[in-house]
Amino acid sequence: MAVVKYVADYEVEPCTGCNQCDIVCPSKAITMVAGKPIIDDDLCIGCGRCVDRCPEDIMWMTQRTDQLTVTVRPEEAAQDKVAALLLKAGIDANVSVCVCTLTPASEIAASIVKGARNLEEVSAATGMRSGCGIYCVAPALRLLQAAGADMSPPKGFRWYPLTLSLWDISDEARARYPDAFIDEDRAAFDPEGKFGPMKEQA
Amino acid sequence: MSALAHALAPPAFMHSDYGPELKPHVHTLPGMTSVGVGDLFPSFAPAITSGDPGDLERVRAETRASLAKVDMSGLTADDSVNILASEHGFGLMGGWPYAEMIKTIREVVLKRTPCRRINLRLAIYRGFREADEVNAHFGFEEAFEGRVKGLGPFDPGVKVDTTIGPMYLVKRAFDATKFIHAYYDDPREMYFNRLLYKSFKSFCMSYARFETRSVYHSLFGNRSGSIIPRALFDCAYIQQRYAFSSVLRTTPMGVIGVDATQDLYAIDRRITESHLETYGRMQRLFAEIKDCVAVWDGGRWGYYLHAGGLIFGTLLTNHHDAFDLDEPVVAGFMQVPGAPVNFSKNKALRGIVVNQAWVGAGIPYVTMPFTSPMYIVGDEQAKLWREDPTNPLLIDRAKVVDSVESGIRAACEKGQTDKVIVFDGSYGHITCNAPMADLLRSSAPKVDREVAETLLPKWKMQRGLV
Repeated sequence: MAVVKYVADYEVEPCTGCNQCDIVCPSKAITMVAGKPIIDDDLCIGCGRCVDRCPEDIMWMTQRTDQLTVTVRPEEAAQDKVAALLLKAGIDANVSVCVCTLTPASEIAASIVKGARNLEEVSAATGMRSGCGIYCVAPALRLLQAAGADMSPPKGFRWYPLTLSLWDISDEARARYPDAFIDEDRAAFDPEGKFGPMKEQA
Repeated sequence: MSALAHALAPPAFMHSDYGPELKPHVHTLPGMTSVGVGDLFPSFAPAITSGDPGDLERVRAETRASLAKVDMSGLTADDSVNILASEHGFGLMGGWPYAEMIKTIREVVLKRTPCRRINLRLAIYRGFREADEVNAHFGFEEAFEGRVKGLGPFDPGVKVDTTIGPMYLVKRAFDATKFIHAYYDDPREMYFNRLLYKSFKSFCMSYARFETRSVYHSLFGNRSGSIIPRALFDCAYIQQRYAFSSVLRTTPMGVIGVDATQDLYAIDRRITESHLETYGRMQRLFAEIKDCVAVWDGGRWGYYLHAGGLIFGTLLTNHHDAFDLDEPVVAGFMQVPGAPVNFSKNKALRGIVVNQAWVGAGIPYVTMPFTSPMYIVGDEQAKLWREDPTNPLLIDRAKVVDSVESGIRAACEKGQTDKVIVFDGSYGHITCNAPMADLLRSSAPKVDREVAETLLPKWKMQRGLV
């Protein structure tokens, strides 16, 4: 869950329409219309990345009148489907996928079961990526891949479909790096041997 | 009770958009002193520089001497070469020694090879303005005649095939025909990297897109994550472009030299052995601290501010021996089912006073204020934290105080401790108060013996170094 206190805004006139704010926006809250960004306040999760990225320094964050609580509650998604998705992805339900908002893997999975189809929709639904925007990405992509989502990367360089995990390392790679603790970590993190490789990397 | 000597000044640091206005350092407060790392562990070799911009001649000399042994015949007139620098080197002793090594690499390449297109690529963490700040502060624009660009995790990527599968690097890092891995060996987050092939980490962090960084942190354990930077370094895309490595060598005393060669695996073995001996002792010395208040007082993110060469994160996560590879997790995202390790589990840390540091800006401290009360000095700094999306809950739990003295007083009272340690970027000494100085001095001999007789043999055996 993320409690969003701020929303992005900008000065229209000096904006050059460079599109950088749009590309770094994690929740697709920014759409370019006639060379200017249109910000959807309901989708903005307050990460501030557009403000930091703006080469003209004409964006800022403004405090919301009412805080926006972004979350998917367990009862909003069928829990058996959530569990099946986590199992397929090889991700423990309780792991904090987004360490900034402490959003657990179960909530990310629930957002996908509920209907989120891509990384932007997962971010908008759960608030993940509202902080650092880095460490949560691969587990979320892996859950999307496990759900059969279209993993074609969007235009530009918003994200690339990388979902490699400990469970995907081949025997050949293990043999090449015998001191990489692959078997030891698999045993530690999955003592019951429930998890396995994804059938196909995106 | 020790005699109270005046505290030494920490390294100067640059102003940043990501931090508050520069404030007076904590070492000037009454009651603060310095404990010399060399006094604690006399076997440690002295540093070759104070870190001051006027005291870099030995860094230049060591860089030249080490590079003299490197075969640079692969760099031709037709080549362009990127010197790849990683952001945290600029937080090491104020950053000037690292900057000097980088500038000297350029001079030597110019002198010894016909290659003339020598670029600097500044890999930063997350803030899009970090590279410009570093470029200006250390005078790289002039030194590299304008051939400087920054790069970060959100920049366009390039897909590379490795033995463990495709991964994504940052395209701009490799927009020349060759590159030089210009690194530093600060073990930094030893609770994540576990000193397992740390010299390779840039290949899955500084030079990599955020997806690759996420895979390294979130879909592998502390130990197994070491396969990722190695697989990247060993892949054809990198090996076709790789010229050589030059690594600024450190111990908790400070910079001790430069190690340059094409064989990064050999450098890594030398670094690992040295670090187990030196940082290993300091890490275990920190484990002797059973109650304390920590003060952040530097020009980087709080986790990465040094005291005696060890970053604050080392103290925060000192609930486990970070070098003991029998432990699957010290502080990781992937957790053992039923036995999660809270990042901020160390109960010895009774409070944190933030005199000055960069705000989170991508560094999550989310669980920290749940376990250690935080005191933020001044409204200006509090405003930065309030607006930090990486730590949305932090300011709700932190207290804003009007002075560092009142913050330390309140933290010590609430935490029932009289020991204060300051993370102000210092190498070679620890800024602290008298009770902490007494504890460190009295504990060091025991730690020295324990590491030499018990821990070091185990750590080395676990890494195949015996």
